[in-house]
Amino acid sequence: MILVEQISKRYGDFRAVDDVSFQVAPGEIVGFLGPNGAGKSTLLKMLCTWLQPSSGRAEIAGHDVVRDALGARCNLGYLTEHNALYDGMFVQAFLRFAGKLRGLSGKLLTERLDWVVQACTLGDVLDRRVAQCSKGYRQRIGLAAALIHDPPVILLDEPTHGLDPLQVVAFREFLRSLSEGRAILFSSHNLAEVASITDRLLVLHRGRLLADAPLDQLQADADAADTNLEGHVLGLVRAAGEAHRGAARGPVQGGAS
Amino acid sequence: MKPHTRSRAVPFWSGVFTVAGREVGGLFEGRIAMISAIAFTLLANSIFMNEFFLSGRVDMGPWFDLMPLLLPVFLPAVTMRLWAEERKQRTLEMLLTMPIRAGQAVLGKYLAALLLLGLFVAAALPVIVMLWSLGAPDGGLILSGLLGTLLLGAELIALGMLVSSLCADQIVAFVSTTVLGLTLVLLGDDRVVAVLDGLADVSAPGTWMREHLSALPAFESFVRGLLGVPALVHVLGACVLFLALNAWVLERKRG
Repeated sequence: MILVEQISKRYGDFRAVDDVSFQVAPGEIVGFLGPNGAGKSTLLKMLCTWLQPSSGRAEIAGHDVVRDALGARCNLGYLTEHNALYDGMFVQAFLRFAGKLRGLSGKLLTERLDWVVQACTLGDVLDRRVAQCSKGYRQRIGLAAALIHDPPVILLDEPTHGLDPLQVVAFREFLRSLSEGRAILFSSHNLAEVASITDRLLVLHRGRLLADAPLDQLQADADAADTNLEGHVLGLVRAAGEAHRGAARGPVQGGAS
Repeated sequence: MKPHTRSRAVPFWSGVFTVAGREVGGLFEGRIAMISAIAFTLLANSIFMNEFFLSGRVDMGPWFDLMPLLLPVFLPAVTMRLWAEERKQRTLEMLLTMPIRAGQAVLGKYLAALLLLGLFVAAALPVIVMLWSLGAPDGGLILSGLLGTLLLGAELIALGMLVSSLCADQIVAFVSTTVLGLTLVLLGDDRVVAVLDGLADVSAPGTWMREHLSALPAFESFVRGLLGVPALVHVLGACVLFLALNAWVLERKRG
């Protein structure tokens, strides 16, 4: 459903994403973990067709994100990193707008609108302007707009940002309820949060994929190394950091003669 | 709940009208567009009334004469926010990752701005009513002049949208559009043409620019009641060029 093959994004000499490959099958929830600047958002922006890869390729539900960008966009729901919304619009009007641009109309649009309003518990704010909504509500409005056309692929960039702990728990349950038949990829820099939602973890650091493994396997690796999951992932990131610094210093020269 | 896969993009005009509908609301959110329309009406009509009482002629010509100077100053207040605001609010990414083409977004915003241009041109209604109540002005000439005003405005809006797509800041977009719009008009002014022709007698750059670049000759021909195909083609061609460039700039911004 999501196919990424050796994808890279370069800005001059800087590699924001470097040769990353993975797949997400229908029914899978995959978490993207990495510190700030790891390349998570850049990768998601390439998958949603906002950025073009410098090399490599990616497909969304069989549609190439460069050659058939429109087809890819039809099949995905995307929550942007900053969740920018049209602040002056009323929530209901905004969701209708999002639905219409996703090709919905008439009875189907009304049905889907009712569904996302109920699923994202937006009933109380439908008649408010987006600007008058709290951060938690704004996040749910963005999510509702991403889900209104019932997409088979869902990309979420820091979806729990701004949600309180209770809302995070509710969001976790909601995401699990959505996973049947859908490929869901979401980014976060919070390991506990990712571990509580996902089946599989991708760890990204300095644009490179350090790990792509089921959560159980990572946990088993952590147990074998006599540490916890957090310690294991931090170890991976630190080792990659050391290797990067070593490479930047260049090869060690021999002693002076 | 399993998804039902959709691979159908929104029909072209449906997408255009959806964007236009949102944009019409957006234009009035900031009130700048409304204030601009009101200020335009007051200024255009008060200057006209002054001319009218001085000349004592039942003629709408002086109102049309104001348009090449007023529209390039007032319309940028409408166009400056069209893309610059999307970038400032970071909503451009959301809009352009919807399953629509950049051209649909451009046309949608253009239609909304044209609707507002209609409000600007509606400022002429009190003048027209007054002229008809005082005498018998040439109705054909008025209609032709109004069409010329609409076309000049449409060209300036297309130019303003292109500039807005290139600017991150609304003030920069406003100033740049005003300067470019006035240039587009002034290149057709006889005095400017004479000065430019004087710079290079053989190639006569002023004459060339008036004939090929300026929006003024086409507008003046409409005000004189000459509904020529070349003038129409010139204005519509410029609009299409600016809008196509606008869509291209947006596609390039995907990075």
